[in-house]
Amino acid sequence: MPKLQRRDYYDTARDMNWAFSYVDENDVFPEELSKSFGIHGEHWWGWDEPYKLTYREYVHNQAGKDDGIYSIRSTIARSNLYDNLDLGWKSAIKAHYGAIPVPEYFASIGEARMARFGRAAAWRNMAAFGTLDECRHGQAQIYFPYCLLGKDPQFDWAHKAMHTNEWGVIAARSLFDDMFTANDAVSTAIQLTFTFETGFTNLQFLGMASDALHVGDIEFGALISSIQTDEARHSQQGEPTLKIMINNGKKDEAQKMVDQMFWRSWKLFALLTGISMDYYTPLESRTMSFKEFMQDWICRQFMDQFKDLGMSVPWYWEKHFLPELDWVHHAYHMGVWFWRPTVWWNPDAGVSAAERDWLEQKYPGWNARFGKLWDVIGDNVRTGRIEKTYPATLPVVCNCCHIPICTPSVGQAPRITTHNGRKLSFCCEVCEWVWKSQPERYDTHLSIVDRFLAGQIQPPTLEGALQYMGITPDVMGNDAQGYAWNGASRLAAE
Amino acid sequence: MALFPLQANFRGDFVVLLVPVDDGDDMTTVADKVAQHSIGLRVAEKNAPKCVYHNGRELPPAMTVAQSGIAPMDWIEVAYVD
Repeated sequence: MPKLQRRDYYDTARDMNWAFSYVDENDVFPEELSKSFGIHGEHWWGWDEPYKLTYREYVHNQAGKDDGIYSIRSTIARSNLYDNLDLGWKSAIKAHYGAIPVPEYFASIGEARMARFGRAAAWRNMAAFGTLDECRHGQAQIYFPYCLLGKDPQFDWAHKAMHTNEWGVIAARSLFDDMFTANDAVSTAIQLTFTFETGFTNLQFLGMASDALHVGDIEFGALISSIQTDEARHSQQGEPTLKIMINNGKKDEAQKMVDQMFWRSWKLFALLTGISMDYYTPLESRTMSFKEFMQDWICRQFMDQFKDLGMSVPWYWEKHFLPELDWVHHAYHMGVWFWRPTVWWNPDAGVSAAERDWLEQKYPGWNARFGKLWDVIGDNVRTGRIEKTYPATLPVVCNCCHIPICTPSVGQAPRITTHNGRKLSFCCEVCEWVWKSQPERYDTHLSIVDRFLAGQIQPPTLEGALQYMGITPDVMGNDAQGYAWNGASRLAAE
Repeated sequence: MALFPLQANFRGDFVVLLVPVDDGDDMTTVADKVAQHSIGLRVAEKNAPKCVYHNGRELPPAMTVAQSGIAPMDWIEVAYVD
């Protein structure tokens, strides 16, 4: 009997959709777990993904990938390669390892929700592979830093971070819970697989992989580029879901979900990836600036895909998003460095004379806006007044993105509003819009500043705050270079 | 004397901070309480008086917080007067 080729049997085997006769569709796909947007039954069955594989192929491919990355890890472990890595680079990977691994497990929860509550069999099939992918990503990105525990206790935060109330972790959990851990299957496909994975994760996983190879961190580069090959497959759940929504007249609903999550993703990436690329990666290894990576991956490639689907650029693109590419991550970096005791890695100031020249070249006006502030910090370091390089209070954080409210220029007020008697602060008009678009989703959540003011952080001191955040003396961040950069700094041009 | 928190930044600094003031503080004291978190830390010190701005108004130095109408967790900006 002749055997069918995979391309001839795959869709038949995959498309196990049927009209329910014994139960109501709403019982199989409750709205809370799988928001229909008014699209029902067979209208979903045309869902189709371009990149198909069988479970047998999946296991074979993934086993091969894991053989590769775990072999590289065990080989590198026998060398002194880690010991010779740039100190700022080590901080970049510690930041990554704290923020990413456990959220990969959260993502497997989101994928598993789609594997059950996706409204088409083809989608559920892809999501089953996605569930396994994210488990793989959680495991590998916990195991690698686990193996580095002997080098530095800060790697312990690969496991610990997401179990703490460290401020950056609150920001990350807020984003990821909104995007997938606590999101219905259909919204997750739009907000995680399309908005986040098709666009932003390339920045961290491919952009940083490129820098990693220049730095000489073969282990990290191999790990995250391998991870991204899985992403390229399971992120393809986004487009078919989007197409079904658009074809059924739900483009506005899809657009709103994309607009909400694009902005939230942008904020966290500016914090994590912006700082890593423009300050922690050693100067000679920076393949591109963060802004250049954003312009390439997001402004060009992702937007081309957007428009091909008939979607519109988010409403805030020109007025809010593009201008932020020039300054937001520089402000976040200054904040993370100054409040360095509150993070689990050692921020690299990244402001030697050569680095400042690079920053001014890539971001004209950097010296006038930020270099001027670093000059004062540098004076304090040079004259031994290190105590003046530490903070004595908390910054106010945005009630949406949970990142400190920074100002691009003088006199810019935080956006303060009252909701049900509660005062809220936002860093910008877009964060305020995101929050107000679904207040019932966010209104019971307290920012770390709200918690401080409500007396939840005791004692109400910086020491109490560090304790609340789970920061212990052995991981508390300090300047990555031991202030060695200051010898080469210079005054900003007037 | 009631202690209450404000959101505040010193003009030229990069971030909004949580600054506790007392409703009996005059604006000179408020300006100093905000400035201490920025001047000499990130913003260069100048030999010039400081001023408090709230809702677009410049507040007189002798005015107290209680008299000013500033409410807890309002935003104020402090700046050197040129």
